[in-house]
Amino acid sequence: MDNNLVDYKSENGGYWKVLLGLLVLTAVTFIQPGMFLENYTFSAQMLIGTVKAWLILMYYMHLKGEKLIITFLYFSLFIVLVFFIIVIGVDVINFQFEDMSHITSGDTASAVSETHGAAHAEPAHH
Amino acid sequence: MSHEYVPEIAVDREGNEHEVQGWQDDTYGAKLGFWLFMFTEVLMFGAMFLALTYYYTLHHDDFVIASSSLNRLLGGTNTVVLLFSALTMGLGLLKMRSGDVKGAKLMIWATIILACVFLGIKAVEWTAEYHHGIFLGLDALQAGNEHSKPFGQILFFGMYFTMTGIHGFHIILGIGIMLWLLKRINAGKVTPEHHILHFNIALYWDLVHLIWVFVFPYYYMIGADGIQMSDIQALFSAGGSH
Repeated sequence: MDNNLVDYKSENGGYWKVLLGLLVLTAVTFIQPGMFLENYTFSAQMLIGTVKAWLILMYYMHLKGEKLIITFLYFSLFIVLVFFIIVIGVDVINFQFEDMSHITSGDTASAVSETHGAAHAEPAHH
Repeated sequence: MSHEYVPEIAVDREGNEHEVQGWQDDTYGAKLGFWLFMFTEVLMFGAMFLALTYYYTLHHDDFVIASSSLNRLLGGTNTVVLLFSALTMGLGLLKMRSGDVKGAKLMIWATIILACVFLGIKAVEWTAEYHHGIFLGLDALQAGNEHSKPFGQILFFGMYFTMTGIHGFHIILGIGIMLWLLKRINAGKVTPEHHILHFNIALYWDLVHLIWVFVFPYYYMIGADGIQMSDIQALFSAGGSH
């Protein structure tokens, strides 16, 4: 909880330490693709990003010790995941137009022409 | 029709009733309310990031190729700029809380300048991309013509311009509310004793920074192959995509 009891020296030092940590992690972000986990760049980058986000949330956004807000935060992230997995995921699994969709078709050119062709031939009804 | 004023009554722990004069000192309530607003931002950007992840699994190769064409040095410079702006914003709040109002105002101005630098670099980057034929509405990002990029790349760049555009809009809003904060400080409405507005605007700025922490690797780094000499050369070129 924020209040006016300020330990300026300590808090100022904390800000600079977090900055240093974030700068180091930013440097790791840059060197990772050519240095380690080369075949898992996406996962490695997300992991580094998550550590950076944790530092920002806890220290710059003063969430350390804020149990209620942290609970809300986890809840909102949970809601996003639930909606993505249940609502969108179920829809994706049962998607019936994979070959016609620009997004899901591997062969985009044929998907485009097929879609256009299908549109001209007869409207798709579900 | 007249409206009779009905005072709002709050009861303290001892059961004594008090007429509420205003909620301006409800620091925790103000902070909680602002966090609720920020959760809506998390929901919006979270959904976009999840959609992007799904598209990435579908069009992995196209995404990697498209990502590798972005200018990582400009994106990386913006990452560092935002990082320092989060520091100046935080230090400004600390100075305000400790009674150094002048120092707090200087730090807010420093944050505004860094935000403008961020927008300037973004503008250079987008302009270069436009001159390379990569922009919303141009042939390369429209399916079904001879200049069309593969659909996965169209999807990537479509989301890139959308998300960095929305993020940039948040930066512009941030500059606006920081200027408003300076006005409130000058008017004596935000003081070391009543600094919740400053606190919430600092939270907003940290959220803008937080979003970029994920935007940068999602778009710029998934196609990166380590630091190359061409990256260094690109730093000294016009700042376009390489």
